[in-house]
Amino acid sequence: MSGSVNDNRVDLLPASAFSYEELTEAYNHTRVDYMVPMPMNAAKLHEYVECYDIDLDASAVAIDGNEILGLAMLGLRAGRAWMTRLGVIRSKRRHGTGWLLVTHLIEQAVQNKVDWMIIEVIKNNLPAHTLFTKKGFAPTRELLVLRRPPHPPADNPPPAQIQTLGWDGVHYLLKNRTSKPSWIDEPESLLNAGNLSGIYAILPDGSRGWLVYQNTVFQLGRLVIQTEVGDPQCVGRVLLHHLHSKHPVQDTKTENFPLDDPHWPIFREFGYIETFHRIEMTLRLKPGLEPPG
Amino acid sequence: LGATISKILLIEDNQQNALLIKRVLQARKHQVIHTSEGEAGLAKAIEELPDVILIDLGLPDIDGQTLAGLMKRVPELEHVPLVAVTAWPEDTAREMALAYGCDGYISKPINTRTFADQIAAFIHKP
Repeated sequence: MSGSVNDNRVDLLPASAFSYEELTEAYNHTRVDYMVPMPMNAAKLHEYVECYDIDLDASAVAIDGNEILGLAMLGLRAGRAWMTRLGVIRSKRRHGTGWLLVTHLIEQAVQNKVDWMIIEVIKNNLPAHTLFTKKGFAPTRELLVLRRPPHPPADNPPPAQIQTLGWDGVHYLLKNRTSKPSWIDEPESLLNAGNLSGIYAILPDGSRGWLVYQNTVFQLGRLVIQTEVGDPQCVGRVLLHHLHSKHPVQDTKTENFPLDDPHWPIFREFGYIETFHRIEMTLRLKPGLEPPG
Repeated sequence: LGATISKILLIEDNQQNALLIKRVLQARKHQVIHTSEGEAGLAKAIEELPDVILIDLGLPDIDGQTLAGLMKRVPELEHVPLVAVTAWPEDTAREMALAYGCDGYISKPINTRTFADQIAAFIHKP
């Protein structure tokens, strides 16, 4: 695909035509002045592509001659697509390159017969929000990116029966999750990411719930919490206490935690800090469908 | 600091930013050791035991907060001042720096006229 942007010809090439090193350099170049710095290296980008089912043939790099102007990536799963890593280098913004990339990725999603397209935009990134709104995306919810520095909980553990779960247990819980995941914590993403652990808690009053998380050397992440029976705050307190008692020296980062999640007050109580907010937006590609979730 | 030369470890992935910071600090006769990634930065910090560590919070391998938390747990680095140099919004930068045990933070883009003095304020020479 190609297009004309302010009298300059812009060509879109599949991202698969570029090496991971080239894509990483281009991506980092587009994010140099970004409101939330998120640089990557080639290994991280490779991991990202694998984890989130990014189709590099359907993803695009915008070029003008030999110069890379921007890029956008498309994740594809049954019935749905996710646009990510959209960026245009600073000196080439506001000339239509972003519009061209988004249009192309929507076309790719349609060709892949998906029903819904999903994006997340950082809250207050007005140019991106305006672009997506013009393309027909509608906001669905607000998501939080949370951090917690490493330290054990201060108080004593609330009474509960705790069970540590193996792979089968984690897999079962994720498949039977009732809360609505975002793309990056869909079961596919979590299972692709690996290193998952799980905790199941039963409180003396019969309340119960579970927590699945990724456990790596330096960091805990990708937290999915669910209360099956009882008060989410009581169940959440037990689960988080156990998590941070078990891993007192690991930093924690969890992305796309819904702002309206009933466990959120307990996360705050355990020292989680809001880093930034994202707005999830969806675009219906087939008429008559209800939003996914 | 007068003629005192300090050893400064800079962990910054953006080459332009790193070059600018190095120039500003080297103009004051400081020795600047630079790494672009977090893991290498941690190894360099233990090896070199610098007078101050400047850490970008957005790094490509380990992110800066995780790295800051790790450094504060290394006994040899316990007393080495750690300064976050970050493009995060001011409020977030302050909160993150405090939460992760940094001794302070400096927002990007740096002010080249005041940066060296800002860093000098963190260096405690015997």
